[in-house]
Parts: sequence; structure tokens; C-alpha cells
Amino acid sequence: MRPIVKWTLWQRRWSAMWWSVGLFAFIFINMVFYPTFKDSAAQLAKSFASLPKAALQLFGGSSDFFSPIGFLNSQIFFLMLPLLLTMLAVSLGSSLIAREEQDMTIELLLARPVSRGRLLAAKITGGTIILAAVSGVALITVVVTARVFGLDGIPSSAIALAGFNSFLLAYCTGAIAFLLAATGRARGAAIGIGAMIGVGGYLITSLSGTVGWLKTPAKALPYNYYQSEAILRGTYHWLSALFFVAVVAVCGTLSYLVFRRRDIA
Amino acid sequence: MSVAIDCQKLSKRYGRSKVYALKDLTLQVKAGEIYGFLGPNGAGKSTTIRTLMNFIQPTAGSATILGLDIVKDSVAIKRSVGYMSGELSMYPKLTGAQFLDYMDELQPATSQAYRQELVKRFKADLNKPLGDLSRGNRQKIGIVQAFMHQPAVLILDEPTSGLDPLMQEVFYELMEETKQRGAAVFSSSHILGEVQKMCDRVGIIREGKLIAERVVADMATEAAQTFDIVFKEAPPLSALKKVKGLQSASHHGNTVTIHFHGELSPLFAELAKHKILKLDSRTLDLEEVFLRFYKDKGGWE
Repeated sequence: MRPIVKWTLWQRRWSAMWWSVGLFAFIFINMVFYPTFKDSAAQLAKSFASLPKAALQLFGGSSDFFSPIGFLNSQIFFLMLPLLLTMLAVSLGSSLIAREEQDMTIELLLARPVSRGRLLAAKITGGTIILAAVSGVALITVVVTARVFGLDGIPSSAIALAGFNSFLLAYCTGAIAFLLAATGRARGAAIGIGAMIGVGGYLITSLSGTVGWLKTPAKALPYNYYQSEAILRGTYHWLSALFFVAVVAVCGTLSYLVFRRRDIA
Repeated sequence: MSVAIDCQKLSKRYGRSKVYALKDLTLQVKAGEIYGFLGPNGAGKSTTIRTLMNFIQPTAGSATILGLDIVKDSVAIKRSVGYMSGELSMYPKLTGAQFLDYMDELQPATSQAYRQELVKRFKADLNKPLGDLSRGNRQKIGIVQAFMHQPAVLILDEPTSGLDPLMQEVFYELMEETKQRGAAVFSSSHILGEVQKMCDRVGIIREGKLIAERVVADMATEAAQTFDIVFKEAPPLSALKKVKGLQSASHHGNTVTIHFHGELSPLFAELAKHKILKLDSRTLDLEEVFLRFYKDKGGWE
């Protein structure tokens, strides 16, 4: 198993590095503007408070964009960081096995004394390490820039937990894409469905605050259990995170069950 | 000699298709034997190989390699098997050396010296990314990865495809050495001359069914029994067909080609009654055997 993990990481090292650079740049550029907003926070907050409720829901349902927590949530944690990490996770989930199968290099691995279960486990481990590493870079960037640019009063532990929650959300969506790819369906379908669950989940969950009938379908979507502002304010119920763990466990188990005996294309 | 590969009514049907890609394949390959598997595209060669490697699941029947079941004991089997795919897909960004290291980590070579020896013999370029290598040069690295751990069984799909004639000779030498150390080889090929040269037995597959098996050495006996005869006048076809031992006869104008088995005296007694301009005996090669089986069944690549 270890060689497959090692070579998976080696093959994707540049991709992981560029994702890290991209996230660092995105976070840094957002945070560098905070001191500018900070000075006119009260005036800006007043303007945003007059936005319609549905519009506010798309930004997290709060008009507090310019307090340290409000700014950090709206600019980083509410949408963009989980969305970017979800894109990475879906990309990994849909390709770790599927690309090997598409390129037929999977035969080289399965021609060796490697069980299909171990191959899956190795690919999941490789993908997890990459996602965790990129998430880690993002998290460190947020913690450091928050201190540098004066987002005071937010404990680093709260930022770390919000970052971890972003990772869990992305990991959960990536696990769904991985399951679809493990069934042998087209890689494009795995990407499409994974992205749809990720982005669609954000829209449905956000709008469910104003559109009543969306509340029920929202409960089936991972984004519903991702509440970054609550984490930053210390009011998040961590039992909600069990949803992510459960989805990952179910997808992992189903991936193994469908992959262990199916024909390799 | 012990049986290394044993297929019993092995069958494969893809998905919901009603057509069998492989139907009731029963064959055995012994240790120290090289078995050539012949057939055009779509005949079932790759399906057989991929089923033996457990990349696809058999629909019916069973097979063992070194006494182990190909489905239940797949991982244990792979410890003793070397495999080379016909498509030869490799990681394009890895160099040959990195690729061999990767394969070596998954299944260590018996000795690094042997791996180096193979690299040297095939003049494999290990420094360039695999994606930059020609088909032939990638094939050399494919051969090294399949043989470097000196497996007891080799399953090869079109192993010399893309190799130049010099490297083909090196490969034939390697196959002979592999046979001498007691390994069993199951190899598909399109190149009939190659199969005749390197294999002990051949199996011919058509539409998923094994339709013939031949011991290559026995074909030398058959070789003397093929005659091309040019008659001065119309050939006595009906009289020739009555000669005991005549298996088949075909003619173009005054030229008759006869496949004959058995004592030759009755044939020559009949020929002596006619004026003959020319008589050639020629080798019945594998290609001819093959084409006889495939006559009226489409072409050969």
C-alpha cells in the first residue's frame, strides 16, 4: 500500500503545490483589504443591513460583514474556501482511481500482489493527505494573516475548527465523487455530480432560510451541516459534523463493495 | 511437468450482452512450456488474459494458476506472475527508472542485478519520461517489469509488438531462458512466425472458442505433406481425391495443392499416370494452419 500512496503523492506534487499557492494568494488578497474596511465598518454595515433577506442569505444570513468574525466568515469561510477545497476534493475523488482506469495503468498495479481493497485504501490515503496538506496551508495562511491584518478577538482555535469543518465538507463531497468513480461510471459524471452536490448544496442551503420548501431537501446536502459562522462564534453543534463522517464512511464502504468484484474497463 | 495454468470451461460475457466473448475455454499450460495464443482482434485473446489476471470476472467456469483459483486467490497468484499488457499503458511522466522502482516496490525483483542485466540486454532507456519514448522503447521497459522478478508464470499480450528485429531476437533468447528455468508462459501474438519460433504449443481461438491446439514440433511432420503440383493437362482431381491419405486438395488451373498425410506411395502411383511439369513440396507453416481454420471467417491483420 505504501508505494502506491508514495507514488500517488509524487505524481500529484505539482498540482498540490499550485493549489496551495492559489489558496494562499486568494486568502492573502482578501485579508489584506481588511484594514481598509475596518475603518469604515459601521457605515458599510449599515448599508448592507438594508439588503433584501434572500440576498443576505447568500452571504450567510448575516449583515455583519465587517466585524473580524463577520469579515472572516463572509470572505473566507462561508463560501470561497469550502468551495475551492470542494473543487479540489471532487477533482481528486473523481480521478484517483478513474484516471488509472482510463489510462489502463491500473492493470500494472493489479498485476502486482495488491488487492483491490488495498489499492482503494492507498488511493484514499493519498487523496486525504493531499487535501489535508492544501487545507493546512490555507488554515495557516488564515491564522497568520488574521493576526497580521488586525482581525482581533478571534481565537486561533476557532479559526482552526472552521478550517477543519471546511476540510470535512470538501472531504465528504470528494468521497461522493470517489464512490461514483469507483463504480466505473464516466469520470465526467463523477466530477459533474460531485460539483453539483457541492455548489447546489450551497445554493439550496442558503436559500432554504427564505424559501420554506427547500428546508427538507437541504437536510440531505452536506453544506447544510457546514456552519462556519457558528464555529467562529463558538456556537456550532459538533454533532452536525457526524453527517460528514457518516457520508465518508458510507461512500468508502460502498466504493469497496462495488470495486472489489467489478470488471476493470 | 506440473500444470501451471488450468482453465476449465472458462467463459466470459460482458454486461447484459448475450454473446460470449469467451466460451468454455479449456486448456492447460505446463511448467516449462511456452503456449502461444492466436486469433485476430475480437477473437477473445485479451478477454482470456484479462480474466486470468482477474481484471474481469469470469461468467462461468474456473481457472487456476499454480493450483490457486484466479478469483479467490488472485493476490497470492500475482506473487508468482509476470504480466505485460497489449496496450502497454504506463505513467507518461515517470522515467523508466522511476517506473521500474515503482513496480519493484510493489513486487520486489529477485535480484537487482537481474533487473540491471535485463535493462542492459534490451538497451532500455531509463532516463527519459516514458511519454517521450517510442512504442518499441516503452515495450522494452514493459518486458523488464514483467520478467525482473523471475516469475513462475508469465502472461503476455503481444509481447514483441513494436520491437525491432534485433530486440525480438533478444526477447526470444529471454523466453528460452525463462522456459529453461521451468516457468510457464502464456503469450498471445499476431505474429505467426514468432509463435512458431518460440512456442511449444499453440491454441487458435475464434469467436471466443478454442478451435484447435497444435504442438509446434509436430507441424514439422505435417510440413513434408504439402505438395504443389503442376499438371501438363487438366488435373485428375477426382482420382486424386480417392487416394488414401489425401486430406484436402485445391486447384487453380492446372496447379493442384495437396495436403497429404500418411504413406506417399499411393499418391505417387497415381501421379505417375499423368504428365507432370513441376512438383514442389513446401513447409506447412503456422500461417497456413491458421488460415485453414479461418478460411471464410474474415481476415487476418
